[in-house]
Amino acid sequence: MSSQSATPASSSALRLSSAHHSLADRLGDPVLRALTWLASAVAIVVLAALAYKVFSLAGESFSRYGLGFIAGENWNPSQGTNGYGFGAADFLFGTAVTSFFALLIAAPVSVAIALFLTELAPRRIRRPVATLVELLAAIPSVVLGLWGLIVLAPVMRNTIEPALQSVLGWLPLFSGAETGLGVITAVVILTIMTVPIVSAVTREVFATVPTELKEGALALGATRWEMVRIVMLPYARSGMVGAVILGLGRALGEAIAVTMVIGHTVNGIHWSLFATGDTLASRIASEYQGAATSLQISSLAYLAAILLVLALIANVVARLIVRRTTVRLPVGLGAPN
Amino acid sequence: MSLRKIGDLLGAAALALGAAACGSSSSTSSSSSSSSTLVGAGSTLVAPLVSVWQPEYLKESKVSVAYSAIGSGGGIAQITARTVNFGASDAPLTEDQFKEATKEGVGVVQIPWALGSVVAVYHVEGVPTHLKLTGPVLAEIYLGKITSWNDPKIAALNPGLKLPATKITPVYRSDGSGDTYAFTDYLSKISSEWKSQVGNATQVKFPAGVGAKGSSGISAAVTSTNGSIGYLTLAYVLQGHLDDAVVQNAAGNYPVPGPTTIEAAAKTLKEVPADNKISIVNPPATAPEAYPISTFTYALVPLKAPNASTLKAFLKWAVTTGQKFGPKLDFVPIPEKIRSVDEATINKVEG
Repeated sequence: MSSQSATPASSSALRLSSAHHSLADRLGDPVLRALTWLASAVAIVVLAALAYKVFSLAGESFSRYGLGFIAGENWNPSQGTNGYGFGAADFLFGTAVTSFFALLIAAPVSVAIALFLTELAPRRIRRPVATLVELLAAIPSVVLGLWGLIVLAPVMRNTIEPALQSVLGWLPLFSGAETGLGVITAVVILTIMTVPIVSAVTREVFATVPTELKEGALALGATRWEMVRIVMLPYARSGMVGAVILGLGRALGEAIAVTMVIGHTVNGIHWSLFATGDTLASRIASEYQGAATSLQISSLAYLAAILLVLALIANVVARLIVRRTTVRLPVGLGAPN
Repeated sequence: MSLRKIGDLLGAAALALGAAACGSSSSTSSSSSSSSTLVGAGSTLVAPLVSVWQPEYLKESKVSVAYSAIGSGGGIAQITARTVNFGASDAPLTEDQFKEATKEGVGVVQIPWALGSVVAVYHVEGVPTHLKLTGPVLAEIYLGKITSWNDPKIAALNPGLKLPATKITPVYRSDGSGDTYAFTDYLSKISSEWKSQVGNATQVKFPAGVGAKGSSGISAAVTSTNGSIGYLTLAYVLQGHLDDAVVQNAAGNYPVPGPTTIEAAAKTLKEVPADNKISIVNPPATAPEAYPISTFTYALVPLKAPNASTLKAFLKWAVTTGQKFGPKLDFVPIPEKIRSVDEATINKVEG
């Protein structure tokens, strides 16, 4: 309202008109308050109810396996065979490996994009390029997964994996048979999904670097690269770490696209990126609907509970780090979907 | 300004009313006691058939049937919780599942209501369609023991074919599936090693290969991977123009999957057990033309239902008139013997 600039005459007119429609005004405030309270309460109640349901569903599996579930290396839903039983180790390993390598690639790429957009790009193409990069995040993950399955997987299998193997095959990471559907394809998909988030936040962080500092460095005769190295990167360091951890939150929780390309079969703890594997989120996505026994459902909920805790930790850590910079993060940016 | 406020208030009230209306409508639909609507959920395998039934049955009897293809496991869970009128599953219920589904002394029964078959498909450059395979060879491929296409065991079955040394990539369903149930049922009957090591269920721990989600996932993975082998329902094989293998039956023949060979397998069934659990994989050698990997899919209904007469009428229609819509979708009509067992089972449902 424009009450500060209003003259005494117009403010009394306001008061008059509000007295005239006092019923609506008197109802308006409490109703507005009640509705906003209700909306906020519903959101919190839903979150609490969801967490409660996940943990209570996991109860049967927890009472059977305890914390040993986390290190359990067997997952066999086929009742009646000797191996019937559940454990999370393979999926924790798969989640850690895919997220780590995705961010290892996504972080430098994102910083490069952010630097380009804040410092190097001609002013008139900054907006369109930034929008296009952010549009990457708008691709539904199921579409990205389908693209991964139909287009990316054959390219990985026939071109990229053999090339990596012939050059870097002495590294255990690039050993083993190429399949196209496996950990490395999931890493590429996750990289594509995390770059828009990490680069958007990094760009915001770079925008907070005071112009005086940058101009000061340039005035002292620094080249653009020296200015970036001496002024921008140190100033933005904690913000960039926060951005990467927010990307981690996204990578940890991605389910559908990963499910479609990672190959599902787990092979224990191993070094090859070409092998198939599975993550916490993708195992839940592939098996929950068809889960046949209550122990299997409960064990999938146990995986979900682990994922919930990991995502919570990633978000809290990111927020604590980023809080030290002046950037305000949109809530839920790092939440897995 | 005050007018706007009133408008806001009205809007808010409308929103609240709308929310309340949504709440009440969703609660009625989930209890689904209305007599002119039936709600079902489960198997994706039978979903194409049900979707053809829906408009036909509405025309004939003014009863609308809502069906969600959420997977067999989901169908079992929903009928156990009694949130639907009928569930649908490609795998027969286990004893434990029967026990779990018994609520207040009222159990559920399973009605075999459609017949489908699973076909081994492959994509190997330089190998024509209808490659010959046997059950034991299929089992060894999926156990990860036969790993290349020019393995002597495959070559011996296909004299005259020049097989490449391409690595075999077995592809399986990563989600719970009736196709997996039928396929592992067959492999368990053929190979004792498969039976003890992997077993028979809608989801098993495959010792080798690559998992893909859904029939379309298998289709895409097989198409894009040279050297792959997978398994799919017949309808998907024909749609996807995939190469299919012919699998040797007990009589030593290599029947091509299709209505006559699947029907031949179904006809070998001597008697239906009390719980209607039927397995017709690996039919005996007395049926020379029988296709070896066929499976029944089941409707699951409680023995006591509030709208029993509507439910029974629909199920009876499905196992009689409904069957004639099957062949267009590559479902073979269920044999006479099963139909009469089904009708007797349906009659057990009380109001």
